[in-house]
Amino acid sequence: MDNKLIEAFFTAYPLDSIPMDVLMIIGLIYFLKLPKEKKTNIHFWLPFLILIFTFFYENFGKYTNYNYEFKKSVNEYFGNFKYPKFNLWLFNVAKRQVGTILYLLLIKSWLEPSKKKYINWMIYLFIIVASFLQFTGIEPIYLNQPIIFAIGANMILIGSALYFTGMITHPQYLDKNPLKLLSFWQMTFVMFTFTLTYISSVSLIYLYEADPVLGAALQQIDIVMKNINLGILTLTIASPFLPGFFEEEPFYVSHKTPA
Amino acid sequence: MNPSEDQIYVIIFSTLFLGGLMSTFVVAMVFIHRQRQAQNKQKLDQIKSEHEKTLLNIENEIQQDTLTHVGRELHDNIGQLLSLAKLYLGSSKPEKQQEGKETINQVISEVRALSKNLNLDWVESLTIEEFIEQQLQKIESTGFCKTTFEHSIELGELPKDQKLVLIRVIQEILNNAMKHASPEEIKVKIWKDGATRTIQIKDNGKGFDTSIESSGSGMYNLKKRMETIGGDVSITSSIGNGTLIHLLLPN
Repeated sequence: MDNKLIEAFFTAYPLDSIPMDVLMIIGLIYFLKLPKEKKTNIHFWLPFLILIFTFFYENFGKYTNYNYEFKKSVNEYFGNFKYPKFNLWLFNVAKRQVGTILYLLLIKSWLEPSKKKYINWMIYLFIIVASFLQFTGIEPIYLNQPIIFAIGANMILIGSALYFTGMITHPQYLDKNPLKLLSFWQMTFVMFTFTLTYISSVSLIYLYEADPVLGAALQQIDIVMKNINLGILTLTIASPFLPGFFEEEPFYVSHKTPA
Repeated sequence: MNPSEDQIYVIIFSTLFLGGLMSTFVVAMVFIHRQRQAQNKQKLDQIKSEHEKTLLNIENEIQQDTLTHVGRELHDNIGQLLSLAKLYLGSSKPEKQQEGKETINQVISEVRALSKNLNLDWVESLTIEEFIEQQLQKIESTGFCKTTFEHSIELGELPKDQKLVLIRVIQEILNNAMKHASPEEIKVKIWKDGATRTIQIKDNGKGFDTSIESSGSGMYNLKKRMETIGGDVSITSSIGNGTLIHLLLPN
């Protein structure tokens, strides 16, 4: 096998590639083993979708590092001649836009029915604002998009706060031990991911130019948090095979959940 | 330290600060959850104990009523029958002695029927519809007033606690109507509207001003009792226009 390919996909970012590949395999095996009724349940298919989607765009990102010509031609297509080595166009769309929407949907799936509408409004608003900023050129697709990231991150923090408010007020949550709820760990780590990467993501280009070593070090936080998040999502998919570990979620619906 | 180093420190410390803030937030949420969970448990225990107390009170009231009824029956009915039997059996005529034996048999069956009332097992064997029918028959048999009973649905088998409360509440309403309202007619209806099952008790008696709290706080008691089983009560009345009571049963 091509050494450059191995380097791009496995050895260049071992902390990023290997845990994600392992989690993807475990997630896929457990998802395939789930009964049909659970596969169609949003509490299982959405974590699996996020897992697959993350695996897909991260590996696509690695491919762009392997195939420099392809990356350069995409950058040129978008009008980026200054930074041909950047693959931010991929991570802007996949991670910061679609990823944010997927995490908002994940938060929505755990909220009590009366609060779901707030997340719907946030998603609509996010799509409108992100499209406006991107298509008007205020935040080009090929450069860092701090405003879009900040809006998305704040919406996720507000969504998580809605979950925690429900947790301390709703009688059904008051009956449970939050430390034994997968939704609690999902929300906690989603919130931590967006908080800890907030500053470094907003100041990505500055760090890249002023102190690339520190920039790369701060990006490690992002990688570690992403792995923890994917780990929790994998655990969610595998939870039916771990009886007694977790309590049943208060708003768990055993069949299809209406959107 | 140059400005760029300053900015890098700001980035590092802001990240650490936000991380710390979020950790504090999550830990605080877990603590608040634990605290509220404990408060909630205490509140539930209190509601449970109040519910048990209300049920106990109701059972005591029903038993008290039953004992009064048994005492009256022993004195007015069985006592009389036994005296009659004694007279018949004391007679030398064989036909009188035969009548005495028959009277004794009647006493035995009366005592059997009465003994069934002494515990609350009859509550389980009786439906609410049958209970209402019995109560209305008793009222009619005294010649106090006319009664009618209509039910478009069967309430079916209710849990014992719900049944006990409903029996006591219906008894209280009917007693109040007889004691205070002097109606010419009492109408009882049972129907279902959507998921809500309702028992309506209507009389055309004196009525009363619902805005004035009664000394015995009977209305408050009715409401509280219905609430202990998850139901509700609504009372409509005015002086001279009778009283209309709706008992809304728990779903």
